[in-house]
Parts: sequence; C-alpha cells; structure tokens
Amino acid sequence: MHPQGVAAFPHYYVGINSLQELATKEDRVCVLNITGGESRTVTPVSHVYSGGNIVCGTAPGRSGSKMKTAGGDIPVYDNVAEAVEAGHEFNVVVVYLPPSGVRDGVIEAIRVNPNLKKIVILTEKVPVRDARVIRAMGQMRGIDIFGANCLGLADAHNHVRIGGALGGSAPEESLLPGSVAIYSNSGNFTTTIAVYLATAGWGSTVSFSSGKDVYIHYAAPEWTHAFHQDDRSKAAVMYIEPGGYYEHDLKFEKPVVACVVGRWKAKLTKACGHAGAIAGSGDNAMAKEEWFMEKFGVDAIFTPDNPVCSAKGAVVVNIAHIPAAMDAVMALNGAKPDFEPVGDLSLKCWFSNTQGIDLPAHLNPPVVEAMAPYNEQIAGLGEQVGAIFPRQTMKDASGASMMDPKTQVTRIHGTSVLDASTHTFEENLVQSLIREYPDANGAAMANVALNAFVNQADHIGLAAADASREAGNSPNTALAAAIAMMGPNKVETSQKAAVAMMELFKKSGIEDPADTSTDISAQVAAADADLFSSDSGCSRGKTMLAALEARGAKSVFVEFVKAVADKAGGQVRGQVVLAAITLHLAWKPLMRKRLSATTISTMPWHFRVFSTLIGSAASSKQQKEGKFCGVADDELMESWSFTETAHLALLGHRPDDESLYAFSVLLGLIISNGPGTISAQGAKGAVAADGPEAPARVQVNKGYIGFLTHTGYAHGGNGYEAIAFLLDRFRDTGLQDPGTDNHGLDLAAMATEYAKEYLAYKKKAKAEGNLSYDKIPCTGHPVFKGEDVNFDPREVFVADLFEKRGDYNVFHAFYKELVQALFKTGVTRNVFCVNVDAVIAVLLLKMLWKPHAAGEIDDATMESAAFTTFLFGRMIGSAAEIDDHTNRGRNMDTRTPASQCSYVG
Amino acid sequence: MQITGMYWGSKLLKYVDFPTSEVLGPEATNDEIKGLIERHGEVFIKPMFKGGVGKKGKAGLLGRAKDLSTAMQEKARLYFAEHFHNNTYSKAEGVTFEGGVPAEYEVYFSITDSTEFRAPMITLTHHGGMDIEELPPEKIARIPFDPLTGLKGFVISNALRKLDAPKELVSPLVQNLPKLWDLFHNYGMTTLELNPIRMTRNGKGRLVPIACDFKCAFDGDDANVARLGLPEDLDTSSYSDFEQEVNQLRTYQGQSDVFVINEEGSITAMTFGGGANALVTELLGDAATISSDFGGNPPYEKMHDISRIVYKYWLEQSNVLFIIGGKANNTDIYETFRAMADALRDHFNAHGPQPLYVVVGRGGPNLIRGMGYMQDTLDSLGIPYQMFGFDSAMSEVVNYAQAADEWMKNGGREIVAQKMGIS
Repeated sequence: MHPQGVAAFPHYYVGINSLQELATKEDRVCVLNITGGESRTVTPVSHVYSGGNIVCGTAPGRSGSKMKTAGGDIPVYDNVAEAVEAGHEFNVVVVYLPPSGVRDGVIEAIRVNPNLKKIVILTEKVPVRDARVIRAMGQMRGIDIFGANCLGLADAHNHVRIGGALGGSAPEESLLPGSVAIYSNSGNFTTTIAVYLATAGWGSTVSFSSGKDVYIHYAAPEWTHAFHQDDRSKAAVMYIEPGGYYEHDLKFEKPVVACVVGRWKAKLTKACGHAGAIAGSGDNAMAKEEWFMEKFGVDAIFTPDNPVCSAKGAVVVNIAHIPAAMDAVMALNGAKPDFEPVGDLSLKCWFSNTQGIDLPAHLNPPVVEAMAPYNEQIAGLGEQVGAIFPRQTMKDASGASMMDPKTQVTRIHGTSVLDASTHTFEENLVQSLIREYPDANGAAMANVALNAFVNQADHIGLAAADASREAGNSPNTALAAAIAMMGPNKVETSQKAAVAMMELFKKSGIEDPADTSTDISAQVAAADADLFSSDSGCSRGKTMLAALEARGAKSVFVEFVKAVADKAGGQVRGQVVLAAITLHLAWKPLMRKRLSATTISTMPWHFRVFSTLIGSAASSKQQKEGKFCGVADDELMESWSFTETAHLALLGHRPDDESLYAFSVLLGLIISNGPGTISAQGAKGAVAADGPEAPARVQVNKGYIGFLTHTGYAHGGNGYEAIAFLLDRFRDTGLQDPGTDNHGLDLAAMATEYAKEYLAYKKKAKAEGNLSYDKIPCTGHPVFKGEDVNFDPREVFVADLFEKRGDYNVFHAFYKELVQALFKTGVTRNVFCVNVDAVIAVLLLKMLWKPHAAGEIDDATMESAAFTTFLFGRMIGSAAEIDDHTNRGRNMDTRTPASQCSYVG
Repeated sequence: MQITGMYWGSKLLKYVDFPTSEVLGPEATNDEIKGLIERHGEVFIKPMFKGGVGKKGKAGLLGRAKDLSTAMQEKARLYFAEHFHNNTYSKAEGVTFEGGVPAEYEVYFSITDSTEFRAPMITLTHHGGMDIEELPPEKIARIPFDPLTGLKGFVISNALRKLDAPKELVSPLVQNLPKLWDLFHNYGMTTLELNPIRMTRNGKGRLVPIACDFKCAFDGDDANVARLGLPEDLDTSSYSDFEQEVNQLRTYQGQSDVFVINEEGSITAMTFGGGANALVTELLGDAATISSDFGGNPPYEKMHDISRIVYKYWLEQSNVLFIIGGKANNTDIYETFRAMADALRDHFNAHGPQPLYVVVGRGGPNLIRGMGYMQDTLDSLGIPYQMFGFDSAMSEVVNYAQAADEWMKNGGREIVAQKMGIS
C-alpha cells in the first residue's frame, strides 16, 4: 500500500537515505498558518538563516498579504491550493496549524501538491487519532513526515533550518558545523545539546528534534540509517525519553552517545509531558538504558567519575555529561574534536543578589561576565539605577501596605504595625520610604535631618496653621495649611543635590555608605560645586554637620558634600546635608533595586513635610528663631530623637522613658489600615490627580494634604470617643497616677456599676424603639467574636509588650474589667474583646492624664491632642502610600468609571 | 483518562452494539440483584475504582455469589476496598454486580497504537482470561492494520487463522470485533482492551462473544472523547486538586503538564521543556514538590495563571523557587519571566511575604530582558537569588538549587525571613 522508498525499510516508506538530505539548500518551503503566534517570530529567522528557503505561506483570510523578513517578503495565501495555483513550487510543508486543523491541513497539502516530499509538523497536542491518519496518508503518497510536536530540522553545514526554532532567535550561536549528528526527543535539548557539545569542541551536522508524541513519524530507526549514510556525521548524540520501542532494535555502525533520562517516570502510573511514557511497561527509562548499554557493550552508565564507554558508544543519564562522553568515545576511535572548545559548562552566575545575607561561599558564586552578546545587554541593564516598578492601576491597591483580613493586622512594607510599634517614630518614618529599618547610624542621621527643619518660627506655613486653628478648624485642616506652603521650590536644592549625588556615585561600588574611608576623590572632582555649596553662610548646614559629628554619625555622602564645599571654598547648605542624609539612608536598598530613582529624588521633600507637620502642630507662641517649644534647635539636632521632638510639640515637654515608649507604640499602631482606609485614599487620589506617569510633576506635599483632608472627626478624631468615655468614668475618682497599680480604685466594682447602668439605659432605649442607642466605644470587633471569651490579637500583643516592661495602665485594666462586667450583667452574650482602638485611647489618656488632672489642659485640648497624635502616626503610612503610588500608579487611576457610579435621587 | 470495569464499559460498548455481560451498579436494589442471580446463576461482585487500576483479581478483590446474602456480604467487603498497585493507592467507591457468563472459550482482544509498526494494531488470542504477558508469543496474534481502511473482518480472520483458533470462533469474532474500531478510533481512545470476552452459546447453539471486563485509555488531546458524555469526575481520583486546576489551562499553545512529586517537598521547580523536566525531576528527587513542563512558548496570561496556581499550592512550604530550562528555541523569556515575576509579586501582595530563595537557569530569546525583569522584581521583594547563564550545566544549577534548599533548611529560612522583615 506504500511506494518503495529506501530499500532498508521494506515494510514502510522512508524517503530520506542520508542525513545530508534532511535539510538541504534546495528544499523549498510552504508554511501553513505562517502568521500564527509562533510562526510569526520563528519563520523570519529561519528564512534569513537558510538564505530565503520559504517560498510562501498560508493563513486563511490573509491572501494577498506578505510576511516581511530581513531576507525578503514571503507571500501569504488563503490555502495551499491557491499558493500552488499562483505558481509556487515547494517540496516541504511546515505545519503551524492549531491541533484541530493539522490533519486537514496536511491532507490538503498532500492532495494539491504532487511534489511534496517532506512535512514538518510543529503543532503540539495533535490527537492520536489524527496522527494515525496523517501517518497513513504520508505512507500512501511517499512523503516523509517529521513530528508532530517537534522543533524541526537543521543542518549546520548547509546553513538551513526547516520548521521550528532550533538554535532559537540566533541559530548561528548554537548550530556550529562539526561532525556530530543530534537526535533528540526534546526540542529544547536539541539546541542545548549542541551548545553543550561545543564546550568540548564538537560541532554538529544535523540537529533533529523528533517530537515525542505516540506517533513519532520520523523516528530513531530511519534516522539511524540516514546517519550511517552521511559521511559528514562521524558520531551521534541521541537524547531518548521513556515510552515507545523506537530504539529497541537499532544497530549502530558509528559511535553514539545515548542520553537516556526519565527513570523517575516509572514511579507514575500516568503519562506526563512526553506522551507514551506509560510507566511500568518494558519501554521505561531503565529498560532503554539497558538497550543502549547492550548495543555499546558497556555495563554501566558513563559519568565523569566512572567513565565507562566503548568505541561504540556510551550511555549517560545527564546531558551535562554528553561532552565528556563524546570525548571519551571518540578518543577510542582516534578522533579529535572539530574545533577549540567554545566556553565551558561550569556554573556561571550572571545575576546575583544575596540581599545582604552572609551566605556560605558555595552559595555565593562570583558574578561572571556573560558571553557575548549577553554581556553587553547586561551592561545596558546596569546603567539603570534602582528599581523600575511596573505601572498599573493602583486604585484600592498598594505596594506599601496590606491588611490581613484574618488577623486585621496591617503590614507596611512587610512589617506588621504590631512590630512597627516596637520601633521609634523616626525609624518608622524612614522605613515608610526606604522599605527597611535604618541601623543606629542611619537613625542618628535621620534624627539630625528631621529635627533640623522642625522649627517653623517665622515660616508662613506656621502662620497659616495658626490662622486656620484660630478660625476653628480641626488639627488636620490646620496642618494641611502649613503643608501647602512646603511646595517644590522649597526643596528644589535638596532634590537636585540628591539626584546629582546618586548619579555621581551610582557606579562607585560603594556598598556601605557609612564607611568613610572610601576614596571619593573622583566624585569630588566631578561634582558641580554650585549644586552642593553656597557662598553665603548657612548656619543650618553648619549646625547639622556639627550635630552629626556630635552623634558620631558617619556617611560618605556627608564627607562628600563637605569636601565639595571645601574645594569650592563655600559653605554646605542645610538642604544639601539633608540630601546627603536621605541618600545615605536609601543607598543600600537603592543598590539592591528595592527603591527607585524617583524615591531618591522625592525623599528630601518627604523629610521636610515630616518636620513641617510636627513643627506646625505647636503654635507660633511656642516657637521662635533658634528655639522650639523652649528647646534650642542645635540641642534638638544633637541629642533629641524625633519621637521626643514630636512629644514635645504635642505636650510641651520631653517624655520620660516610659512615656516615650508608650508614645512610640501608639504612633506605630496607627501607621496604617491598608490602602482602603480613607486617609490612604486621600493621599493616593492626590498623587493620581497629578499624574504619576510623570513622577517629577507629583507634588509630594499635596499628597499629604490629600491624607490630611481625608481625616476628620470621624476618621482620626473618633479616638477621642473612648477618651471621653474613660474621662467620664475616672473624672471624679481622684486618680493621680494612671501608671501605678497602687491607685486604690476598685476597677471591677466601677466596671460592674457602669455595666448595670448601661444595661438599664439599653433596655430603656430599646423599649422606646431607639435602636441607635449609644454603644460602648472600643469593645467588640466584627472579626474577633463568637468565642466564649474574645480577644483582639493586636490588643493582646500590646498588652504583652507593656507587661514585659512592667508598665501599668489603669485605663487598660479598667477596659479588661469592663468587658467581663458587661458579660456578667448580661449586656453581652459572651465576653467581648477589648479592641485595638481602646489600646490607642488608653495610651493617649495615660499620657494626657496628669496635665488634665492638674487643669493644665481642658477637654478640647485633650481632644485636639488625641487627633493630632493620630495624624503623626498616620503620616508614616501616608508617606509610604504617596511614594508607592508615585512609583507604580497611572495617571488618574483612582477614579471610578461612570458605569460603576450610581445616582441617588 | 482511563476507565476500567464493566459499569462504564458496558455503556460504552453499547455505542457499537458489542454484546456485554449484564451489569448492575452500586445503586442496585436487592430485588434487582436477586433477579440478576436468577437469570445468570451467579454474579461477580467487583469494586469500582476511579481510573485505571490493574491486578484486582490477584489481590482478591473479586467476589462471587450465587445467593443474595453472599452477594451482600461481598458488597460490604468490597465497597470501600483498598488496593495498592504500581506505586498507586486506590480506594473503591462502590461495587458492580455482573451476571455470570458460562463460556467455552475466553478471548483476549485489544486495540492500541504500536510504536513498532507505527500503526494501529490488534492483539488477539483465544487463550484469554489471563495476563496476556504470561502467554508464549506464538499464542498471541499482533497485527497492525491501515487506519484509513480501519479494522476489517479479514484482519481478524487472518489473525485467528495464524493462531490456529477453533473454527467456530471465527465467524462470531469476525462479525463483532471490527465494531470496536469505531469505538476506539472515533471516540478518542488510545487503548481498548476486553479481557475476557467470554464465548457463550446463544439459544440457537451458536457462539456469541460477551465482553466481561473492559479497560480503555483516552487521548486527552482528542475532542471526540467529549462526545461520549462521560461524567467529568470519572477519573479525577488520580489527579490532585493542583493538577486539575492546571489541567484546566491546557490549550495547544504551551505545555502545562504538571504532577505532584512530593507533597512535603521544599523545592518548587518551574521547568521549561520536556528535557529539562525529565532531568530536573530526576535530580531533585523527593526534594521537589512538583514535576512540571511549562515550555512551548506560553503566552503571558497563561504563564501568569499557571504561576499563580503553582504559587498558591506550593510556595508557602517551599524554600527554593527554581526556574529552570535549557536555551529556549522559541519560548519568549521576557514574557514568561515577566508573568512569573508578576505572579510572585501578586502572591506576596495577597498572602504576605515569605522567606524564599530563587534560583534561575535559563537561555533563549529576550533572555537578559527577562532576567532583568525578574531581578527587579526579586530585588523589590527583597528575595535573595542567583541566575545562571544557559552555558552553565543544567545539572550543576540543579545541584546549586539543592544546596540552597539545604541551607534554607538549616537556619537559612529564618535568616532570610529576618532580612525580609518577616516576623
């Protein structure tokens, strides 16, 4: 039923007698579905590599179009019949059709082109049913079929590849002419083996990817025959996977290295990947290893440690051993490699980042220069400083914060607010921008920078804030007025200096900017002195440098600005020292590409806003030139932490250790509630409206105004509800010190009394049909409920923190008694949790109790202080959102499509 | 997908009018079972396993009853029978009751595709009812035939003549066996096996073939399987949730073959190419969570979906995310790396960061752009990594990934967690 082909195969048709005929210069090709996704990239490369061997292609509905290639245009027709009618002559069809179309495409090609001799099918997942028919059709008409699910044929000597992408987008790199023929069940490994062979100096004749479907139409027996007939091919590599008996009866007349893999597949009962690998039958990998070992007369697998081989061949189970096995086998045949080795197979690390982890040496290989042309491409990447975040719609999304819906704990740059609460205010401010915490040296520098600009005396912003306060506005509104004055012109010098230093130092290789022994002479010489120094005296710059000196802070960038100023005979400006400090803080994550260059540019601006917001919280009465709330500016810079300064601004005095710790915890806890919180939405909306796709246009201070305008009496100010509640409970108790348990109060009795009172109120309200009766603030939580006794894990965490320190808080203790009393009196059906908002209230009230009890502050000031504290803490989270949205967001990406908005009449 | 047993087998054979034994399923009432015993003299009770499960008879998982009480006892024994064969554990979900068929001959018959002949092939013997591989070759006929003409009566007739089979077998088998080609070829099967076909006499004293056991395997790439209308969960037992979820993405562009190697594994390898899949899975051994082949130039969306699913199931327990392949021919490295990196970022966004070590070995079009994108992503996530060029031996890169896994197991995971700021 089939024409007679090569005589060695009497039972079925084989047309190719020698591998020399596999892919020739004379072959002319028609590509079916030439414009398909895969062909579109592969075909032009094949066409150029092969000197223009593709005469036409088909793509239904695209007749008359052309595929453009560097080797000339390829005409496209609707179908093969049309191409033949147009006069194209071809003997090869390459099939890129989708699986359901392969059988009919092949049948059509066979039907209309009597000259067809080869069909190469690239398509994967062709049904076995269709493969049966395709095989039979090819047999009937005397056509060699390759594949399916293969990557085609290539001949390095003929400089021809047909079908798939052997050698990838640059075939010359891998298809080096030589003496080894490659047969591979794996398409990828066909090329990989060629690359590996070259490392031992072996080039190839033909590379053939057989495919690995149940039907391998052109398989090992006919390939082996053609290999024997090809004088150019002195040896072969066969890469064989489990399944099928194609190799069982092979008889070799030339040396062969067989790589048999897939022993593990025998453990499985179902085929994976390479169809036909049905385990447990006699064609598994181990059986195939034995077939080949018998053919070669060897009794073991070849490894570099146990190089078992014969002149006939060797069996390997790792493709990396192919070059050595080929060397060994060919040495026994007296043959030498085709050329000098090209590269080697040792580990070559092209990209590495240990993220600062001290890895053992074997896990920290040196980064080596990649081979050409990859080295140039990598060098191109190196020109880029810092990370480039992909831009996307950031509405309701954040790369800075996320809230775990289960624990209700928000993370800011991966750190939970609970852990953040154990860090200082200044550490959290820095972390919001650089995504990690500064070391002690960094924190010291941050304190200098933040305190340097906190005094707002004579600043118009402070006047604006005061005016706003006097007009009766809430603290957020007043602070927004001050922040509005911190526009781009105020920070231009710092921004330019930061960017200029980044450019100067980006290739310096400096890993630790605290190492001041680094030679910076080249950068000093290259620096534009005008950017870093001024002729006029700048007292702030000098004071900052002195403060850094006093704190023992070290920075190569500070040394740099000093050196540049010295060289120019000028003074270092405060704004420039600020830039040196922010660049210092950001340097390590910048070099690790965790930060973008945009953040480097905007960081001084954020710092100025931080200082302005804290500074403007104190009224102008408390500030004069050189003194902030009674403390000298240089003293603040030299010895105050910014947490202490914030406490000073709020309460007018330096906190003791216990108060300082409580204040830090408080600020940490309120950093963020995720990107959905109103304050974050305000900040993000402000950034989106400026258009972050041009990040230089984003007004950082306006981002904070967005945050501030999106807080208010219901968001931020509501913490006062709990304080007011506690004030009512404790007002007449004569409590002096809320920090000692020796207060003489019976908290349980107080709680029970109130619970009874509340029960009566609640019953009355319900009886009157008033369902919106007052609720007790800060008890219960929509998530942490339903158990007999409930806990808010955040409250538990903070309670533990203070308990370990031995810090007592009477208000916290009262709240714990209260939830028990509410249950016992029947107000609640189980013991409600004390939620995290209560923690914030009790911490605040403890701080404010003494001045309040002493009559120094009234209820209104207390409320204002509570609200302002919230703003201080939330400023940290807002900084992170503003920076993140500037880096990742798209223009106006926070808007809601009109279709999702509704009209309420 | 594979099917064994007569419960579904009898339904499939009815498509081509091939006679079968009478079969009742687990839902059969006592009266129905009693009626079956009365009609056939005895019933066989067989456990129902999902998918292909072999050697049940030898494991004693076959009941035989001539009365209802014994039948019910056997039902109770076999209903949830457990079976371990070929490294696979299976648990029955129900039983079938099959009417006994008296027989003078037992015939073995199968159709499959022969890689030796590269054509469909029948295997036939009238010495059936036993494991075919235990018979000497001369007692088995293995005959290839032309798929364009199909399985014709003469192929059967020639085979029986070659076997020197009793003449009375020829006519009923020549009449009935060719029907099976229609079932095999037109409904997407890759293997169809009836063993035994019991040759029993009908009322007229003529021999009739009755299929008494059934096995078939389907080609997952053949849409014709769907024409049978088989329930989707027929063979789900052999696929994990993870495998099923990835399998749903199975489209023609891009492989998406996965299966679970070790549910306790600590290296999750995203492998590209069948060759890399074979090599990497072999070298990683039990350290691997999954074996995968995502080659074949998957588009971004598909690769993103695959990565999302892989991370969802395996990342939390993994020390090392291992991205490995040879020098790709046509898989776009930029597209695939971008998809994997974005999915990783999304995963961290949704589930929070976790300590991880990333090892990459890859080559191919747009390599450096792809590695650069991955680098930026890993840097921004704070994950330590090493990426190796394609001129590094793949097996050495695998060794490196294993070394990283060992380090992570021995305290490294905590160090990475600390560095990533994970508490």
